[in-house]
Amino acid sequence: MNLASASPWHGKGLRIDVTTGVTTVAAVPPDVSRAYLGGRGLGAYMLLAERVFEIEPLAPQNPLIFAPGPLTGTGAPAAGRYSVSARSPLTGTIFDGNSGGGWGNALKHLGYDYLHVTGRCATPSYLLIGGGGSELRPAAALWGLDVPDTLARLRELHPKCEAAVIGPAGERGVLFASIVNNRGRSVGRGGLGAVMGAKNIKAIVLAGDGGWRPHPADKERFDFVVYEATKMLKSNPITSQGLPEFGTAVLVNVLNQAGALPTRNFRESVFELAEQISGETLRRDHTTKRAACRGCSIGCARRTATAGESGDGPEYETIWALGASCGIGDLTAIVEANYACNRAGMDTITTGATIACAMELTEIGALKGGPRFGDASAMRELVDAVASRDGFGDELAQGSLRFAAAHGHPELAMQVKGLELPAYDPRGMKGQGLAYATSNRGGCHLRANMLYPEILGIPKMIDRFATLGKAGLLINMQNLACVLDSLSLCKFTALAMKEDYYARLLSAVSGETVEPQELLRIGERIWTVERLFNLAAGFSAVDDTLPPRLLNEPVAAGPAKGHVVDLAPMLAEYYICRGWNAAGVPSRPKLEALGVAGLAEAAGVEAQ
Amino acid sequence: MIDQFQSIGRDLFVAGLISSHGGNMSVRMGDRILITRRGSMLGRLEERDIIDIGLDENDANVTLASTEIVVHRAIYQSTAALAIVHTHPPYAIAQSLVRDEIVPIDSEGSYLLHKVPVVSAELTAGSVEVAGLLPQWLKEYDLVMLRGHGPFAIGHLLEEAYQLTSVFETTCKILTIAEGTGRAVKEYRKGSERYESW
Repeated sequence: MNLASASPWHGKGLRIDVTTGVTTVAAVPPDVSRAYLGGRGLGAYMLLAERVFEIEPLAPQNPLIFAPGPLTGTGAPAAGRYSVSARSPLTGTIFDGNSGGGWGNALKHLGYDYLHVTGRCATPSYLLIGGGGSELRPAAALWGLDVPDTLARLRELHPKCEAAVIGPAGERGVLFASIVNNRGRSVGRGGLGAVMGAKNIKAIVLAGDGGWRPHPADKERFDFVVYEATKMLKSNPITSQGLPEFGTAVLVNVLNQAGALPTRNFRESVFELAEQISGETLRRDHTTKRAACRGCSIGCARRTATAGESGDGPEYETIWALGASCGIGDLTAIVEANYACNRAGMDTITTGATIACAMELTEIGALKGGPRFGDASAMRELVDAVASRDGFGDELAQGSLRFAAAHGHPELAMQVKGLELPAYDPRGMKGQGLAYATSNRGGCHLRANMLYPEILGIPKMIDRFATLGKAGLLINMQNLACVLDSLSLCKFTALAMKEDYYARLLSAVSGETVEPQELLRIGERIWTVERLFNLAAGFSAVDDTLPPRLLNEPVAAGPAKGHVVDLAPMLAEYYICRGWNAAGVPSRPKLEALGVAGLAEAAGVEAQ
Repeated sequence: MIDQFQSIGRDLFVAGLISSHGGNMSVRMGDRILITRRGSMLGRLEERDIIDIGLDENDANVTLASTEIVVHRAIYQSTAALAIVHTHPPYAIAQSLVRDEIVPIDSEGSYLLHKVPVVSAELTAGSVEVAGLLPQWLKEYDLVMLRGHGPFAIGHLLEEAYQLTSVFETTCKILTIAEGTGRAVKEYRKGSERYESW
């Protein structure tokens, strides 16, 4: 790939120290763009190179890196995304999240490949970036406002702006506070909103235009590939019917029928009230409008309403976390708790999973007077208490692992590396167990989702209860996820498109041939850099595991009855396929082949 | 894993995509390859017919591995493939003798294949020449036709590579039948002329 004629990179980023107000424009060397693409990859590279593994997550020095990708804003399908990277206060791992909406496009149009924010403002402020430069403005009048009110106020102050904001949860340091941008899209997980709050930054507002417009190097070829890609998306029943019609909530019944819908803090894997909280019920009772990120033909987002409120969502993971995970089958209560999370700016998965953990602690007598499974009436109050960190809510605001440990039962926190597991019980889909255990940001379905081959049959259906023989496929998915998060494209496109489409899109945009294998190699490099960060931060193979329940407690009933995750052989196979040693450390030849041996050495990771 | 080899091998034979002892398949597991045994019958595979061998380095099992091991290795070393299916389908072979590339005219073939390059080599079985030629094409196409011999299809799973092979043979059959009518093909696809540039 020769960047000389490439248009999708600007070759520069904006670095702002909000303590001093000093702003610099820094070059992004072409070889860095070539090696890491943008978005998540660029963020991972900078976090490792800048030795952020030595920095406490809520310290001013922990940078928040916002980065679109080379396909952002080009007109490629579902490519209006950006990533935010930092060290997570919830997990201590390297972390990135990405979001749709229009914010990523706006940063790209301003002419930057990334925005790097460090420091801490003396008083609450917001960062205003326009075509003419950037400045910090007082945010005293915004501090304390919820997310919708903040976004609305900023639109009054700066018409047509794109803003990424935090809510009260981020201001108060809830460890799973999110960053939310216009159109209700969030960088949800890992507490990056708390990192922003610790900097006393309420919002990052993009107003104005730097003049950049997409110029695919080979416009005719680009249009052809987009046409073919769109054709694939429109002919696939998931991307053309399931997601547009029901949103991601279409998965409630799918996972429940498979016996992989975690219920009551993963005590069970079938929820008897699933139909009441399904995508079909959501559409019938609450959905008012379908919505989409900029440039997306899928349109998985929902606008919904209850008798008293209206808002965005809930997504599948939210319905599960605030519903089945807590034994709650009251969809209205779930929708309204979701609104409360959105207003506060909190990750719904960790919110619900931590409440589910508290419910189980109550059930076993380890928590006196706590909430019980199925108590829908308590849900809203609990969410508000977490957001405000009032009383009991302050304990919950630390996430499930710290909460459960404080009550003497860390094993009841259903998490990996401190991040709460999402809505797929790996005892009913064993490859997902390996995906959780090896995820660089902890328990997550977005680093690789074995839902595709194990439940949906994409690219083909595989035996979901089998253990061995899945590592190669999983690694490929992990590497591809790195690519998509770095290009930056929505992962739902992978339901219908293969990696050669992404390579052809980037080739047409840059004017240079990029082969699919080269893209996946870049993905492997990004994954490895993330692994190196975690190793340098003190994580090891010991952390590549699952909660004891999933390893030792067979599912009691349903299609996955009798199953546990036999992780050890899967993990051994995974390390071999990755080219890592038995301790989960990449080999020196592997690091050299990926061109990151120097980074590893500088970070103090000893490869063998 | 043996189950996948057995079921797909059986299907390849029943579908007429291979002769009794023709074709071969493999999957990649990190730096190892599982490949069908030289001379095995894909329609009747047993456990002893699946040979475990290094991706980069030889060991004693090279005496048992498929003749095409050199080509499979080269493909894995240069592409993102995790599975390879190589067959000898008659309509595809016939079409490869009269074309330098095969552009499907049917809907399914157009969707999945867009275009299939035809590659020529003097020695077509287990040849270093083929091992040098094919991977370059398979970097951009999931299925490439070796003239007079048969297609190599790649995927993340054996079933994917099998599907492409099956679709390709059907495409070639349709092409052959349509040409046999002696009438001009009526175009129904928007922008189909661009498939040649895929």
